[in-house]
Amino acid sequence: MILLLAVAIGLAAGLVRAWIGKRSYQAPELNSVWLVVLAVLPQLLAFHIASTIKLIPDAVASIILICSQIMLMVFVLANQDQSGFELLGLGLGLNFLVIVINGGWMPISPETVQKILPNATHNAWTVGERLGSTKDIILPIVEIKLEWLSDRFLLPAFFPWRVAYSIGDIFIAFGAFWMLWVQGKPLNRD
Amino acid sequence: MKQVLRDAKMIFSQINRRHMQIILLILSLSLFVLGAGAPGAGSGIGGW
Repeated sequence: MILLLAVAIGLAAGLVRAWIGKRSYQAPELNSVWLVVLAVLPQLLAFHIASTIKLIPDAVASIILICSQIMLMVFVLANQDQSGFELLGLGLGLNFLVIVINGGWMPISPETVQKILPNATHNAWTVGERLGSTKDIILPIVEIKLEWLSDRFLLPAFFPWRVAYSIGDIFIAFGAFWMLWVQGKPLNRD
Repeated sequence: MKQVLRDAKMIFSQINRRHMQIILLILSLSLFVLGAGAPGAGSGIGGW
C-alpha cells in the first residue's frame, strides 16, 4: 500500500510538470509487461487476497516470493534503458538479497514489530514465525543476516499507517516516482 | 439511446494509443512495486 503511494505521487507530479510545460504527458513503451503480471499474480494470491492466503502454505508462499522476484528482475533487465529502472532494479535486488539470505522471507526484528503493532495481543505474533500474511519473518536482530537491508525503518508518526520498510523499498519508491516524474519533462527542442 | 451510444463512441475515440500506454505504465509500475517491495504492515497484520 505504502509503495503505491509513490506511484500516485509520481504520477501527480509528472502530470503537473507536463501541465506547467504545456505539453502532453508521455509514457514509454515497456517491454515484456506480461512478465510483471505473471510474476505478481501468484504474490497477490499468496500475500494480499484474504481468501487465498490461508490456502497457500508458508513454504509455498516463500517459493512464490523468490520466483516472482526473479521474474521481476528479468523485467527490469528487459527495460533497463528506461529512466527509473536502475533504481527499481537496485531496490528489487537489495530486497531479493536479504530475503534469500534469510531463508526466503524479509526479516523484521521483534523491536520493530512492537513499534508497528503496539496494541497487538501477546499471541498475535511469535519470534521465528511469519508476521501475519506479510512477506516478513520475525527474527531476533542478532540472527538477521544483512540486518541493514531488513524492514527496519518506520514511517513518521503523522502517517496514518504503521509500516516498517527496507532500504530496498526506499529505492523502489524513488524509482517509481522518478519514472513517472520524467514522463512529464519538457520536450527536447534540439 | 442513440445519444448515449454516440457519447460513448466519442469518449472511446478520444482514448488513443498514448492514453493506453499511460494506463499500461501505471498498472505495470503498481504491480511491480507490490511484487518487488516488502514492507511489513502493522495495521491488521497482513496489509499490503
